[in-house]
Amino acid sequence: MLRFQKTGYHGLYFPDLGIALDGYHPESDSVFVSHAHADHMPRNRSTSAFATSATIDLMKLRGFRGEATALEFGRPVETDRYKATIYPAGHILGSAMIFLETDEGSLLYTGDYKTPPSPASEGFAAPETTDFLITEATFGLPIYRWKPMDELSDEIRAFATETLNDGYTPIFLGYNLGKAQEILHILAPLGLPSMIHGAGHKLCKVYDDHNIDLGNYAAYDRESCEGNILVAPSSALSNGFASNVSRKKVAYCSGWAANESRRSQLTAHKLIPLSDHLDFFELIRFCKELSPKKVYITHTPNPDVIQHYLNNEGIESSFLDLEAEPMD
Amino acid sequence: MNEIHPTFRELCETLQEIRETRGSNAKISYFSSFLGSIDDEKELALAVQFTGEGAFDDLSGKRASVGSRTSGLAAAEFCGIDYDLVFKPCRTATGSSSETIERLMANIPRAIEKRSPVNQSLSEISHIFEQLSDLSGRDDKKECLHQAWRQMTPVEIKYFIRILGQGSLRIGFETRSVVASIADAFDADREEVRYAHMITGSLGKTVLLAKNKRLHEASFRLFHPLSFMLASPVESRAVDDLTQYVAEEKFDGMRAQVHADGKKVRIFSRDLNDITHTFPDVVSFFSERNLPATVFDGEICVYENETIQPFQLLQKRMGIKKPGKKVLEKYPALFISYDLLYAGDFPIFDLPLTERRNKLQTICEEYQMPVTAQFRVGTFEELDERFSLALKHGNEGLMLKKTDSPYEYGQRRKSWLKVKKPGGSFDTVVMYAHAGSGKRGGTYSDFTLGISVKNDERYEEEFIPIGKAYGGYTDEELRRMNARIKKLAVERYGPTLGLIPELVVEIEFDDIQVNKRTKAGYTLRLPRFKAIRWDLGPADVNTLQDVETFYAQRLNEDRLAQHENPSFNF
Repeated sequence: MLRFQKTGYHGLYFPDLGIALDGYHPESDSVFVSHAHADHMPRNRSTSAFATSATIDLMKLRGFRGEATALEFGRPVETDRYKATIYPAGHILGSAMIFLETDEGSLLYTGDYKTPPSPASEGFAAPETTDFLITEATFGLPIYRWKPMDELSDEIRAFATETLNDGYTPIFLGYNLGKAQEILHILAPLGLPSMIHGAGHKLCKVYDDHNIDLGNYAAYDRESCEGNILVAPSSALSNGFASNVSRKKVAYCSGWAANESRRSQLTAHKLIPLSDHLDFFELIRFCKELSPKKVYITHTPNPDVIQHYLNNEGIESSFLDLEAEPMD
Repeated sequence: MNEIHPTFRELCETLQEIRETRGSNAKISYFSSFLGSIDDEKELALAVQFTGEGAFDDLSGKRASVGSRTSGLAAAEFCGIDYDLVFKPCRTATGSSSETIERLMANIPRAIEKRSPVNQSLSEISHIFEQLSDLSGRDDKKECLHQAWRQMTPVEIKYFIRILGQGSLRIGFETRSVVASIADAFDADREEVRYAHMITGSLGKTVLLAKNKRLHEASFRLFHPLSFMLASPVESRAVDDLTQYVAEEKFDGMRAQVHADGKKVRIFSRDLNDITHTFPDVVSFFSERNLPATVFDGEICVYENETIQPFQLLQKRMGIKKPGKKVLEKYPALFISYDLLYAGDFPIFDLPLTERRNKLQTICEEYQMPVTAQFRVGTFEELDERFSLALKHGNEGLMLKKTDSPYEYGQRRKSWLKVKKPGGSFDTVVMYAHAGSGKRGGTYSDFTLGISVKNDERYEEEFIPIGKAYGGYTDEELRRMNARIKKLAVERYGPTLGLIPELVVEIEFDDIQVNKRTKAGYTLRLPRFKAIRWDLGPADVNTLQDVETFYAQRLNEDRLAQHENPSFNF
């Protein structure tokens, strides 16, 4: 059995392998960073990180000061203690899952992932089988089943064009890294000018470098933003974002948008349940497909529900209490 | 049969459109064009009834008594999922039982297979509601729900459950908007439709009168309750000119409407329930006087020794269907009127307050009945004096009523303002956080608050609950509290978190009542947040002794008798 322990809020440390995942541990030789979201990114300067080149680029723009080595998808790295292969996780640009093969068995660590993958990512791939699976379960309840990406893309484009046609400025609310660029990518075929919140704008360059088309975008400019498609995190609206534009309509894009209660909480005109995590049904299907000896579940307030369904499939599981993702 | 219009699905899809549309004018225009498209009168009446009242019309007082547990259990069974293990956490996440059911019906393969939606008319759905209301056992009701759901889409199922609940559909579209839609659909005047609704008490009847251009036929009927006119708190509606208002003392009693005609008397509560049997003493008071057909609005209080007794004593009378002799002697009830809605064979609620009051005064003098004293207050100093006198009478505060206002049924506007005495406040500690529902779904928005019994020999605990509060905070405060709560959580019971007692909240309440069923022995009336005391710790919270002292002071407060400066004339 592979031994591991928690490190920090979100990280795991494998003492027998000398490797940490998504978190710093003083005794680890190296840290695998699954993607560049803040809750997964180690802050410690003495971290020796390895990640995809896109993740490293994004991390550096978000204040990572340690040492970093780039890995390529599907090209294994071997040490005397393990063989590591990374697979595209479909969550955001650069997101990766790591597959560790050791004498004690194999383990797939998903980080945050999505299948079918986000169109603004490198896609999704996974090994055929694994002994152990550590999976996130952010949307681990059967009320979460995503609409097909085509349908969501149509909703997003229709909201933008209809809102503009009515003489209003459309504002899409989505997290600065990943969601914001995914929205721009979905809107790109319209060829309409868009503006993105500053914190997200500086990250767009990495997407450009990795040939993901974000269309006709510019950094948010308060004075000239009216009539553009605007993209900002949900916190921006209460901080004066586009407050000078009186005719505007807001679409909230998130997996949490599946819950009606988010409508009045955010006073959004439209809720678009565009998630960067896989839904409950994909999660159960993925676990079945890999048929691991044991599944460790993280990032959910309701591990009992997933465990109940895995039990019914004859798959052993337990809850690994890493902090659940806050709703943004 | 093949040309059903409207189908129940069309109605539900329209309701969902309304839910997803912002702005009440846009919502009204959706619904009015939907109403305009319906030819069949029975279906039209049901469409407005389902939207504005529920499965049964308000006047029938009928209920299907299908609670959220019954529909939740039925849905879990239908989907083949575990109720406690799977359904409940889903409901906690969404904050809505009916939304949870809608989504499970759409997502779970087994539920999808079972359903083959068919077009059904509103009359057919109404028939199912009747069936449900006739069934008594939970199993029979569940079977009936299963049968109905097999023929519905998820959105139909959601609204089917909400309509069945006989409450708000939670789509931001309340009675006023339904009334406005009726007017717009049939080119009628909104005020005229509102009036017809007030008179008939039925949206179904109102829409048919509007459609057939017979709104003028709407007439008030004695012994059918009329929605009450409500008051706004004075803080939220600034008063600039006091001379437009007249003041009355606000009794801490039970609002009631009395319909009397000779020996026949009916009493209705604020929620329009018939409470005649609860107050036989009030009934005989009116029947003895043999009044012509008259409708009064006023307050029932316990009145003894020329003193209005505390609300706590009136409570001993409330909810008792047939009070015994002892209770009647110990807690004698008196109806004090302050408005007149019907007199001389006509409804008079369109008359200005001054004119209604003149008539009321005349009747009360002639038949010797208690009527509130009214005062002119020209200045804010006078208002303050009157206010403190009202408190000395043991009353809640003052009412300010605009002299030229009609009786605005069922509305809470600024024609009536209430100036209430401040209740009390305690510093309490948050013991439990509960997942919110409705618009607060997905956050912890309800809190069980505790007081200290650390040095109290009667208890083993350090803190015991004193009440639950779920309002009075801003969105920002709620966010900050939720962040803190996650760190303090030590236990989880489904939707509830047990917390380390550290977060201190100052709560405000209207009054304290004895309640033997609670650990503390007291409950607070209308507890709400006053301030989150980030500056205080668990050592600073109030003790049970403080609560007991407060209660004793309230109950034993000297109440000024009514023979001097009376708050009503009798």
